[in-house]
Amino acid sequence: MATISIENVRKNFGAVEVIKGVSFEVADGQFAVLVGPSGCGKSTLLRMIAGLESVTQGDIKLDGKRINDVPPDQRGIAMVFQSYALYPHMTVAENIGFSLDLKKVPKATIRKEVAQVAELLQLSELLDRRPAALSGGQRQRVAIGRAIIKRPRVILFDEPLSNLDASLRVQMRAELQRLHQELRPTIVYVTHDQVEAMTMADTIVVLNQGNVAQWAHPIELYRRPRSTFVATFIGSPRMNLVKGIIAGKESMPSFTAADGWTVPLAGRDLAAMHSQSGWLGIRPECIRLVDANTDADLSGEVVIVERLGAETYVNVAKGRDTLLVRVQGDIAVRPGDTVQLAFDRAGFHLFNQAEVNFDHSSNDLE
Amino acid sequence: MIGVRRFTQAEVSAYGFLSATLVFCLLPFLWVALASIDPNASQFLSFPKGITADHFIKIFTANNGGRWFFNSLITVGAATAVVVVVGGMGGYALSRTNAWWKRPFLYAIILVRILPPTALIVPLYKVMLIANGLMGALVRSVVPPDSTRSAMQIVGFVDGYLGLILVLSAMQLPLALWIIKTYFDLTPKDYEEAALMDGANSFQRIRRILVPLALPGLGAAGLLTFIGAWGDFLMPLTFISSAELQLLPIGLFRAFQRANTIDYGYLSALAVLYMLPAVVAFGFARRFLIQSFTGGIKG
Amino acid sequence: MTYETRMAWQNRMLLVPAFVLLACFILIPAGAAIFISFTNDALNGFAAAHPQFVGLKNYVRLFSDQGFWNSLLVTLVFVFGSSVVGQFVLGLAAALALSRPIALKPVFNAAILLPNAVPEVVAGFIWISMLAGGKYSTLSRIVGLFGFAPQNWLDFAPLLMIIVVNTWRGIAFAMILMTSGLSAVPAEVYEAARMDGATARQIFWRITLPLLRPTIFLYMLVSTAGTIAIFGLIYTLTRGGPGGATEIIGIYIYNQSFSAYQLGYGSAVAVIVLGASIAIGAIYVRVLKVQV
Repeated sequence: MATISIENVRKNFGAVEVIKGVSFEVADGQFAVLVGPSGCGKSTLLRMIAGLESVTQGDIKLDGKRINDVPPDQRGIAMVFQSYALYPHMTVAENIGFSLDLKKVPKATIRKEVAQVAELLQLSELLDRRPAALSGGQRQRVAIGRAIIKRPRVILFDEPLSNLDASLRVQMRAELQRLHQELRPTIVYVTHDQVEAMTMADTIVVLNQGNVAQWAHPIELYRRPRSTFVATFIGSPRMNLVKGIIAGKESMPSFTAADGWTVPLAGRDLAAMHSQSGWLGIRPECIRLVDANTDADLSGEVVIVERLGAETYVNVAKGRDTLLVRVQGDIAVRPGDTVQLAFDRAGFHLFNQAEVNFDHSSNDLE
Repeated sequence: MIGVRRFTQAEVSAYGFLSATLVFCLLPFLWVALASIDPNASQFLSFPKGITADHFIKIFTANNGGRWFFNSLITVGAATAVVVVVGGMGGYALSRTNAWWKRPFLYAIILVRILPPTALIVPLYKVMLIANGLMGALVRSVVPPDSTRSAMQIVGFVDGYLGLILVLSAMQLPLALWIIKTYFDLTPKDYEEAALMDGANSFQRIRRILVPLALPGLGAAGLLTFIGAWGDFLMPLTFISSAELQLLPIGLFRAFQRANTIDYGYLSALAVLYMLPAVVAFGFARRFLIQSFTGGIKG
Repeated sequence: MTYETRMAWQNRMLLVPAFVLLACFILIPAGAAIFISFTNDALNGFAAAHPQFVGLKNYVRLFSDQGFWNSLLVTLVFVFGSSVVGQFVLGLAAALALSRPIALKPVFNAAILLPNAVPEVVAGFIWISMLAGGKYSTLSRIVGLFGFAPQNWLDFAPLLMIIVVNTWRGIAFAMILMTSGLSAVPAEVYEAARMDGATARQIFWRITLPLLRPTIFLYMLVSTAGTIAIFGLIYTLTRGGPGGATEIIGIYIYNQSFSAYQLGYGSAVAVIVLGASIAIGAIYVRVLKVQV
């Protein structure tokens, strides 16, 4: 069993508080991703779990036992560094087997274990090479091999894919998931890329400036973001946000954008939020372009069209607001055209002035 | 046309200047190179009428030359080893630490490198005298009387190997510390942390990861230390007086002072022998010269 | 103990040997020099056994000592002539010449480097052959080819001679530093200047030299400090003579301390030199913004 508990952890570097009271848990065998923009503290948090940084306040527990003061080499945790940190003067085989060699495991056993790991990671042909002679993807697999040969309870990954090019990244994402399914260690994975987070994680901790913005299952983050930060961070392309005023006391509550256009908000109890200013969020995939004679919520002018083949992104301007619309396939619009937009009501998110999502009622998970 | 001529003119003057400089730089060496193989060598430049290897052979068979060479090798070699180890440890610590004493220590190193050894030699001599007295007392209480002298030759601070080695090391240490610190500054901590996560204890980390990684830096420091200590004249001059312990630079110097018994051929051969290790080391160390001269100005 | 505390403790331990060496053989003597300069300590005579505190007596003596002022003057001229002028001009010229595509570059490079690579004693030794011995010295024979009379050069113009020798020795240092400075100037700057119609002379004075200013400053500082510290090279050549004509400050200290056996007095001179060096060091750190 390898459950990790982070309880009210704080970290100061001198006078600067970098981690401001973070709590979450990772269950045994889960693939947890810490995600957030640069400087949010995710790498620091990871290094605290590893034991390479001390904890200023709070507890880090492994299987219920407090490990704040346990040295890094005694925690049973392995780490894959962002730079891979492969020992340049050793071969691939020596790099992978290093931890066993340190414990004076007999050479024959080391060879066997290294061969097994190499087989798993498709490194068998490269065992005699030095890191300098390997490609980025190969080096990464060696770094992973070095970690898993120790059969650790927990494996930490510090932005392992950020040094790889795009196609390799996609490939390695699949590899990592496959490894996780086969070996089932508890994984804590740090990245700034929300696509990696969404595709690989069992649970995601979104960090912002040293605080947990939201901790949830990926789909929940997508469907019920708790703040505009999470709403715009998760999901690509990002959610449209429009500033405006809520009219809650009417029989038909509505949202009026700053620019004057209004959308009705049926089925919501918004009396408490009457006359408050806030934000309306709607994802590009929840807006459709409709014909002139169908019921439309809004009309606007096309500003930019981005054609990707399988889908098209249309930037539509209404007054000073711009909405991004995602359309399946290709569509015959050009900049300057006037188009009609229809909103999927179930896809509305309402955020109050503090940018917190106060409305979940129509966003039930299936 | 004018443009082409001007270009050629610049080239001509460059070649001319460089050739003149080359002659200027190499001319003094001509004498010593020729005299070392000239059976009738004199103080003055002349072309040998015959060639002999006698002078070189004599270094090792007579006249103390071999002794001086041996002493230099031992003391300078030991000093280099001391500096590489002590400087290696210290340079690493200076690079990795963020303690309050880091900046003062580094400023102190810069300061120490600026101080002329000639200004330090007087109080240093007194310090060494005192230390020598203490060591003498220790030796006399431990060692039988007839071995006292040989023991002091080894562990004495004045007129003893130990003192000279320590002094030579101290003189070269600041530069070595700076070079190694700069080197580690450019080496990411990742390797040590990975080794730590792999379960290596401090000793294993040092031996199997840090030392191999630091070899270029340690090599540079070692080479420059060797060159510096090998050429040091003031320290052996001040601290070594007995003939058996004398180092090469002083031996050469003193032999040269004996106006009526100078064998220039022998002395030239000795000078060539003295020169060679320094020149060879210099050849290897050329890449690091900038660092040694500026002390890694960029920190 | 956390990892961080353990590492901090380890760092401290790792520096202890280096600190001990530096403290014992450099820092403490430097401090002691100040102390000894206030005594009448000596290597023989009554004062050797019972050195007494004499206050500023040594310093007062310094001020009226002709030898001291002579040595200062000699050092000043020596540093200026060899380091500020000789090595710099020749080194810069060599750096400029070698920055072009030139055949046999490694040969020229090696030749210029060689004087710096050999130990001081050997350098002094080989120049004796060049300079001493009247009409048989190599220099005499060379100037004889041009019709000049042979001289005992080390008696005839001792200060000039040691300036020449030190220049010969230090060109490499200046050249290496200037080369590094030159390489920091992008080639496009020269190309732009040429397109603006600048002549080679204009380019040198108005572009190259100003851009080299920080390097030149660095060179001056380091070279000056290094030249003040010279001992072996000149001691081998002249021992400071004739009559103190080449008694640079390092030799003066040595002679006063170990030949005249006046440790207290020698220390006073040393303290002054130490003070000057610290001043140079402080300028070095401040102006060049050395980062530690």
